[in-house]
Amino acid sequence: MIDFSRVQKELQECIKDIEASGIKVTPKGDNLSRLVGTIPGPIGTPYEGGTFQLDITLPDAYPFQPPKVQFTTKVWHPNISSQSGAICLDILKDQWSPALTLKTALLSVQALLSAPEPNDPQDAVVAQQYHRDYQTFVNTARYWTEAFAKTSSLGVEEKVKKLVEMGFPEPIVRSTLEAVGGDENLALEKLCSS
Amino acid sequence: MVSDSIANASITCAPNVRDLGKKKRANRSAKLKQCKLDVRREQWLSQGKKKECLEEWTGDAIQWDSSKMTLENMELRKAMDRAEGNGHISSPSNSPISFNSIMGSNDSGTNCSGSSSSSSSAGCCSGNITEEDDEGDDDGCLDDWEAMADALAANDENKKPPVCPPPTQDLAANNMEVRVATAQNPGLESRVIPAVTNTRAWRPDDASRPQSLPNLTKHHSFPNPLDRRFMNGGIPWTSRNRIFNTPTSCPICCEDLDLTDSSFLPCLCGFRLCLFCHKRILEEDGRCPGCRKPYETNPVQGEASSEGGNLTFHRSRSLMMRP
Repeated sequence: MIDFSRVQKELQECIKDIEASGIKVTPKGDNLSRLVGTIPGPIGTPYEGGTFQLDITLPDAYPFQPPKVQFTTKVWHPNISSQSGAICLDILKDQWSPALTLKTALLSVQALLSAPEPNDPQDAVVAQQYHRDYQTFVNTARYWTEAFAKTSSLGVEEKVKKLVEMGFPEPIVRSTLEAVGGDENLALEKLCSS
Repeated sequence: MVSDSIANASITCAPNVRDLGKKKRANRSAKLKQCKLDVRREQWLSQGKKKECLEEWTGDAIQWDSSKMTLENMELRKAMDRAEGNGHISSPSNSPISFNSIMGSNDSGTNCSGSSSSSSSAGCCSGNITEEDDEGDDDGCLDDWEAMADALAANDENKKPPVCPPPTQDLAANNMEVRVATAQNPGLESRVIPAVTNTRAWRPDDASRPQSLPNLTKHHSFPNPLDRRFMNGGIPWTSRNRIFNTPTSCPICCEDLDLTDSSFLPCLCGFRLCLFCHKRILEEDGRCPGCRKPYETNPVQGEASSEGGNLTFHRSRSLMMRP
């Protein structure tokens, strides 16, 4: 059985510290065993400005077993699978310690973004590019950040707020956004044409 | 008479047990010893001791006062006390059984405190019943146990020595007595009530919890690493650490650290955790969460190997925890 009291406490700690770390962990639905983590791309890297979402699944033996963490946002990084988002990081595997928390684990993932380890790759293609043509690697990583890590950073609430500021009534904005699957521009087009 | 007593037992528990207790006291030959026991118990009580296991209690007292007590006796006694604990909860239909165990514990109690009773604790059931018979005869062959109870209660009031007030019986009988038949002895009740609450707080827990749960870990792992760390040196900084840096809750499970936990230092790196989590980790990879080095488990395992040693540890720990 997962130690939910500890998970609860960890979530509170995260909320308390969100200003400093920028790391967010929120439960996915009622069950605390599935969580969504968010980390900001580290400054001074190709990931800067992006907000990366991770899917966290807590095993029954948590915190004695590591949480299963993988990116849901696409990332171009030698130690992160560009296909599945799987992360190659020792503390999420054999070097996990029960003294670590979701927050420290996500901090480590964030540190991994700024310090790739191409000699122990998760994604061989990315690692090869990192070795052979570093500049292309940086460009690709930045492009991926722009393309995938920025739109997802806009939550529904922010989109709603934006459209309401344009002068559309909030209930209509919400229903339109829902109808177009959350795409802000499509929603705006639809709102203008109606 | 035998059938009588059993029938009585199954009808109502309280007065019967009380009778037993009273009789025992009436029969008591070594009053001095008993007084000593009482004073000690009073001390413990007044120290506001936390929920101490009743069996540990009596076990300790007996261990101190009589060198005859053997480990086997203690174990048997423990088992009996536990059976009695079940009796507390169980329905009236079970009561004869629980009585037997109570008698059994009474019996061994007398044995241990040095009275002349010769019945072995192993033959508790039959031996007890006959013993009770004898006592009944001694008391003047009162067939009606209720009348006898009243008489004994009156007796009790008269006989009560001023210095050692609670009846100096085996605690098991004592508590039962207090629990059920207190109306006639209000003074008595107020005196022993802490013991009763203690029993209640501990017993259901004890009965429902298998012996192999963290309870045991504590016994196994607690005294040893502590002794080792604190007596063999390698100490200065850890003990300083201990004073200034003791977390109030376990970093693993976030539960509050109790007294045992906060004096538990399993790893030289100073990482503290509760005994439950420590046991859990030992069952898995056995590495300290703080430094990832393997815990030193040898002394603990060596401890677990000998049952007798384990038991003594159990006792000594309970003594040690008493401030």
